[in-house]
Amino acid sequence: MNRPQNNRAWLGVLPVLLIVAFSAVIPLMTVVNYSVQDIFDVNTRLFVGFDWYRETLRDPRFLDALLRQLGFSALVLAIELPLGILVARAIPREGRWVGLILVLLAIPLLIPWNVVGTIWQLFARPDIGLFGQLVNGLGIEFNYTAEPLHAWVTLIMMDVWHWTSLVALLAFSGLTAIPAACYQAAVMDGAGSWQVFRHVELPRLTAVLVIAVLLRLMDSFMIYTEPFVLTGGGPGNSTTFLSQYLTSMAVGQFDLGPAAAFSVLYFLAVLLLCWLFYTSVIASDGERG
Amino acid sequence: MAEIRLEGLTFRYPNASEATLSELTLAVPRGEAHALLGSSGAGKSTLLNLLSGLLPAPPGSIFFDDVDVGRLEPWARKVTQVFQFPVLYEAMTVLENLCFPMRELAAGEQQRRARDVAERLGIHGVLTAKPAALTLVQKQLAAIGKALMRPDVSLVLLDEPLTAAEPGHKWRLRQTLRALQADLGATMIYVTHDQTEALTFADRVSVLHEGRILQTGTPEALVDAPDHEHVGYFVGSPGMNLIDGEVRNGRALIRTGDGGVLELGALPVADGPCRFGFRPEWAVLSQEPEGLPVQVHATRTLGASRGETHGLVVAEHQGTEIFTRQNLAGVVPGPARVRIEPERLVGFRDGWRVGAGPAGQ
Amino acid sequence: MRGASSKMAIWVLGLYGLYLAAPVYWLLRLALQSNQAILSGERDFTLANFAEIFSNPVWYQGFANSLTYVAINTVISVSVALPAAYAFSRYRFLGDRHLFFWLLSNRMAPPAVFLLPFFQLYSAVGLFDTPLAVALAHCLFTVPLSVWILEGFMSAVPRSLDEMARIDGHSLPYFFFRIFLPTIRGGIGVTVFFCFMFSWVELLLARTLTGSEAKPIVVVMTRTVSASGIDWGVLAAAGVLTILPGLAVVWFVRRHLVKGFALGRVS
Repeated sequence: MNRPQNNRAWLGVLPVLLIVAFSAVIPLMTVVNYSVQDIFDVNTRLFVGFDWYRETLRDPRFLDALLRQLGFSALVLAIELPLGILVARAIPREGRWVGLILVLLAIPLLIPWNVVGTIWQLFARPDIGLFGQLVNGLGIEFNYTAEPLHAWVTLIMMDVWHWTSLVALLAFSGLTAIPAACYQAAVMDGAGSWQVFRHVELPRLTAVLVIAVLLRLMDSFMIYTEPFVLTGGGPGNSTTFLSQYLTSMAVGQFDLGPAAAFSVLYFLAVLLLCWLFYTSVIASDGERG
Repeated sequence: MAEIRLEGLTFRYPNASEATLSELTLAVPRGEAHALLGSSGAGKSTLLNLLSGLLPAPPGSIFFDDVDVGRLEPWARKVTQVFQFPVLYEAMTVLENLCFPMRELAAGEQQRRARDVAERLGIHGVLTAKPAALTLVQKQLAAIGKALMRPDVSLVLLDEPLTAAEPGHKWRLRQTLRALQADLGATMIYVTHDQTEALTFADRVSVLHEGRILQTGTPEALVDAPDHEHVGYFVGSPGMNLIDGEVRNGRALIRTGDGGVLELGALPVADGPCRFGFRPEWAVLSQEPEGLPVQVHATRTLGASRGETHGLVVAEHQGTEIFTRQNLAGVVPGPARVRIEPERLVGFRDGWRVGAGPAGQ
Repeated sequence: MRGASSKMAIWVLGLYGLYLAAPVYWLLRLALQSNQAILSGERDFTLANFAEIFSNPVWYQGFANSLTYVAINTVISVSVALPAAYAFSRYRFLGDRHLFFWLLSNRMAPPAVFLLPFFQLYSAVGLFDTPLAVALAHCLFTVPLSVWILEGFMSAVPRSLDEMARIDGHSLPYFFFRIFLPTIRGGIGVTVFFCFMFSWVELLLARTLTGSEAKPIVVVMTRTVSASGIDWGVLAAAGVLTILPGLAVVWFVRRHLVKGFALGRVS
């Protein structure tokens, strides 16, 4: 809190600034620049103002993708957050198993995203996958490449598999910081498991859970690789999210102007979501005292 | 409120080779303020957890009003505890915290009791605040209040509750706690490693050492007649001076450096080797030739009254450190004699005070 | 006392563990079968898929390329983040808070947004199709995160350590490298873990910024899929191999994992 004032500290920050300027500022300026021009080739450009933005916002495919994106993020958050907390509470606080459990939990986080897609492809395919065969064995005609609902179920299961560990590890690290005396006091007050969670653990987990929600919110909003491998955005466009659509526009069709306008809107949407969540947490914190 | 009895309580952690607590026997009458005094590792925390029910106790070893509570849950034992650092529910107001242990009472009754105790503790002004907005002392007062809320509480445990408080606040907190204890007639067990806290708070003190209770008694008894060398040494600041010698014909004798024999006083016990103990308060430097010969090294001023400083004299007798507590006027380093009040001398054999040891000694 | 709840905990962990393990088990099983056996539903046991990967330069070159840019990225990220994190944790300076939040906001940028400009930028400076291009591109995400994590770990070190070193007459560089860095080595380990966690697993930027020369393993895998039918066995075997570096890294930092996931902020 009482750090000394010293503007020479800027020297320490300078390398970071240079790197980030090179890899963020220049590209972002390029994007903004493109988003207001119509580009035919390197020498033929036309200033079009906000036309691309207007066009993007009217593009039904963009709006569909946005809607799917919001639904997907909401669903995975609604599952991963409670499940992660449940798992974190089940991990013993000490003993020889803790280290092993944590390492096993962390594994999904370290698998390349396309491999996550591959793993679930191999697992869920109705012909060669264990999961697909099992569900078919139950008498349900399961085929995620043909049925949008099945594709969504598979995608959500995959994302939960992939990312719940992050929530669980964050929540667990928050739980371990709670002093034993807090639990002992609650036991003496005759508090049950739910009351311990509600009154002892949850208030002290707020900080890590905010981080967990922010990370999951933005990362799920940027999801590209896993559905690209698993479903390729299909069947139809039923699992095409914002990043897929943007990538197909930018790389596939090379529509520089519209893709750039899309990019700017996309980035703003992520920032807006995170900001909305963060300020609502701060506001409700203020209300409670 | 209940009477608390320990009957031969022995406790060993699973996988531990030695018992953490062995053969503890103790009776704390209803409404007594009792202190458990011991250094770290003495077994205080284990005993605390056995009393509160966080650890299950062997059957037939812990009784609350003749009920064997060894296997009962804390809530069923009606035990409450104040911890080293204030433990409150962060998301609740102070008032909600105070009411939480009284969930089974009517709302009006809860409020009445909470406000009453808050008033006595001087925290009635912050009842609607969240713990985060309170000072450390206010938080601990609220935690103390929470521990006293249950109308049917049988025992209030205090685990070094003043650790977090600043020295200036400790005295006031202790007085508040003591007054409240007396008013409510609560049975309290106060666990501490600080002998001053124990002696100034409790009606009676038990000294715990290496898993055993060495002595239970009033603060005066611990000071005047410690049952064990360790009690003599641990209680008092600094503790009791100890010198090896011998008892012959009821006289306490020590050898002086030049081969002579010096009589410290009379001690009506059987002949044989003996360790003599005397408190710094019972000894004074003297110029007369018959005292204990010492080398004075230094003095430590503890205070002054009527223009005279008084404090500790740090001296040495044949390699043993000797303290006296006295007027420091005219004390200079160098050879001197220490005169000991002869009738207060205490003799120890095998660690125990002669005539006071455990059965069989 | 906690008998009922610990039984419940074992159930939760067991079921969740099964959920985590089942797809990996299946991957491993397919990796040890020939493609014909997989498609026909028979059972056999073969190491041919792994042999194919280790003998085919496209595969093992892919691994080497990936590990190269991950290593470069980690070194760059940690070395530029260290002084910055120290500045943020120890001093106040003009615009420090804004700068800190602006850095973090970069973490919120969707990689897809940067595809096109990155492609043009790195082509223009002649870095296209080199591991360095991918490493620098990943810095956009790993550097802010590294600064954030390291700042948390550094702020947990009491400033009296700095003051003591000053009183003892150590220079700032000596203090920083010989005293301070060893104190927060757990935090550095965790930062490496998070850099790895991003750079190793990312596909989109890595794919866009590489051609045939620096093609990373993750891209090799996706391209093999689209070529002449899919050899599920080899794909599964490659998947198994990509899990191993992650396992090694997580094992390395396992003791700091909990503190790391609180990003150094849990006291």
